[in-house]
Amino acid sequence: MTTVAAMASERKRSIGGNSDAFLGVLLITPIVLVMAALVFFPLIDTMWDSLHRINPMQPGTPFIGLAKYTNMLSDGDVNASWINTLIYVVIAVAVETVAGVAGAALINQVKVGRQWVLAAVILPWALPGVVNATIWLWIYQPGAGLLNGILTAFGLPFENHVWFNDRTSAIAAVVTVHIWRMLPLTIVIVLAAMQSIPNELYEAAKIDGASRTSMFGSITLPLIRSAIAIAMTNGTVAAFNFFDEAWVLAGPSLDTRPILIQIYLEAFQNLHFSYGMALSLVVTIVSLLVSLVYVVRVYRNTRLD
Amino acid sequence: MQQQSLAFRIMIWLGVAVLLVWSLGPIYWTLASAITPTVDFSSRPIHFVPIHFTLDHFERLLGINVDRIGGVEVWAQFRAALFNSIVAALASTIVCVAIAALGGYAFTRLSFPGRRVIFIAVVATLAIPGYAVLIPLYRLMTSLHMVDTFLGVTLIYVSAFLPLSLWLLKSVFESLPISIEEAAQLDGASRLYILFRIVLPLAAPGLTAAAILTFLGAWGQYAVPLIFSPTQTKPLTVLIPEFATKNFIDYGLITAAGSIAIIIPALVVIFLNRYLISGLLAGSAK
Repeated sequence: MTTVAAMASERKRSIGGNSDAFLGVLLITPIVLVMAALVFFPLIDTMWDSLHRINPMQPGTPFIGLAKYTNMLSDGDVNASWINTLIYVVIAVAVETVAGVAGAALINQVKVGRQWVLAAVILPWALPGVVNATIWLWIYQPGAGLLNGILTAFGLPFENHVWFNDRTSAIAAVVTVHIWRMLPLTIVIVLAAMQSIPNELYEAAKIDGASRTSMFGSITLPLIRSAIAIAMTNGTVAAFNFFDEAWVLAGPSLDTRPILIQIYLEAFQNLHFSYGMALSLVVTIVSLLVSLVYVVRVYRNTRLD
Repeated sequence: MQQQSLAFRIMIWLGVAVLLVWSLGPIYWTLASAITPTVDFSSRPIHFVPIHFTLDHFERLLGINVDRIGGVEVWAQFRAALFNSIVAALASTIVCVAIAALGGYAFTRLSFPGRRVIFIAVVATLAIPGYAVLIPLYRLMTSLHMVDTFLGVTLIYVSAFLPLSLWLLKSVFESLPISIEEAAQLDGASRLYILFRIVLPLAAPGLTAAAILTFLGAWGQYAVPLIFSPTQTKPLTVLIPEFATKNFIDYGLITAAGSIAIIIPALVVIFLNRYLISGLLAGSAK
């Protein structure tokens, strides 16, 4: 019914129907060309080639089926990078969500100069990831770095501590930089949801004698839930895409190597093109599936309400 | 009651202070280090506020008085990289927003076969991470001899940021009242006249938001130019980490170059934050 109505109104709108269709096709041609050549064709190519052996160092491109995919399972470096990536995803999403909601709640309480606070908070997100990484490389520097300087100023024995010597502190150092860049996005998304909550709800709760904490739990949290899910999805995809900071801070070190650096090394240093393609497809699918989990959970929750 | 409110406000301000130190502290440290003489980097304990002031690092970067400082000329590299970053980011922003605006209008107001399917297919690529297509793209660009050219890298950026701009602009066009366009049509205005003289001026805030997101995205890219712009078109983001070699990391140079790379994003955040946030929100709610 609605479609019929929509079609009818569309026909009415487009008086010169055919010329409109022609113009429409003309206007989207650049988009179609760019996307077809640079996204869809390479994507199909990736799928197809991941089933073949493609290596500039070896002749021919024989069909090898799912061999690349089964190779992956017994590849120690791939498994190690997967574990690192999963650690990054869990830590980054957890910290970004908790700190993001807290940060948004804080900024939401600021009455004077809120836009300046917000601008300052967004700044790390707007900077190039590599610049962030070099900034933090300098902060983590053992001798003259800010971090050891602060710890030493508190009388702690960190004068020449090397943060990238052991795996736990290296991972913590790397993920901190990632969180520094991505936290602003969570804050912006959650803050927008908080600002759209009508004030009357809080007024009514206040009359009923509700405390701040109970208002946060029973009004704010339920109403920002879908924003949190969106932020978590963004955070997850970003953590799966993690490359720049890890590469600049620790290079190819296996202690901190995320799966994307593994792909980069396989494809552009070892020239195992098809293996790299199979890996990138798996990462894409995993990151989509994980993001889907949040979306489904949120939809189910909101439906039960 | 008043008492509790005061304590509450103090708590809020403490929290905001922590948030500001976390966000701006590393940036302060970069700027502070960029004006600290190299000698002072080896003093212990470190100084949180620079005790001596120098512009040596900036002078080395910008090729001023290089003879006095030691004669190492990084200006040529830095100038080229700065130029490359600006060209690639501007070109991709202009092309991306332009074709997203034309297409976005067509997808919103014109009816043609395949309209919905094509729109959904293009926007769905937002969910596909860029690296899924990086390797075939590299072979494609190699065979077209477009590796290390502005054309090649601009096209890649456009294909990467187009879906977001398109999504954003379509939602902007949809929110514009159609009655204005119908009135213009009754007065005999052509579709293109309506698009360029009525719709696009009304959509200016949306165009700004799309342009900001594309520009910042292209400006900050690292993995893509590392592969597709390695030498001739090398941008700042690829050059800056090169100041950190295995044996010697020139922190003065890195922080000075970082300070310059921060300027443009900082200006955007300070003066165009409203558009940036509206773009982020529209872009994230996919």
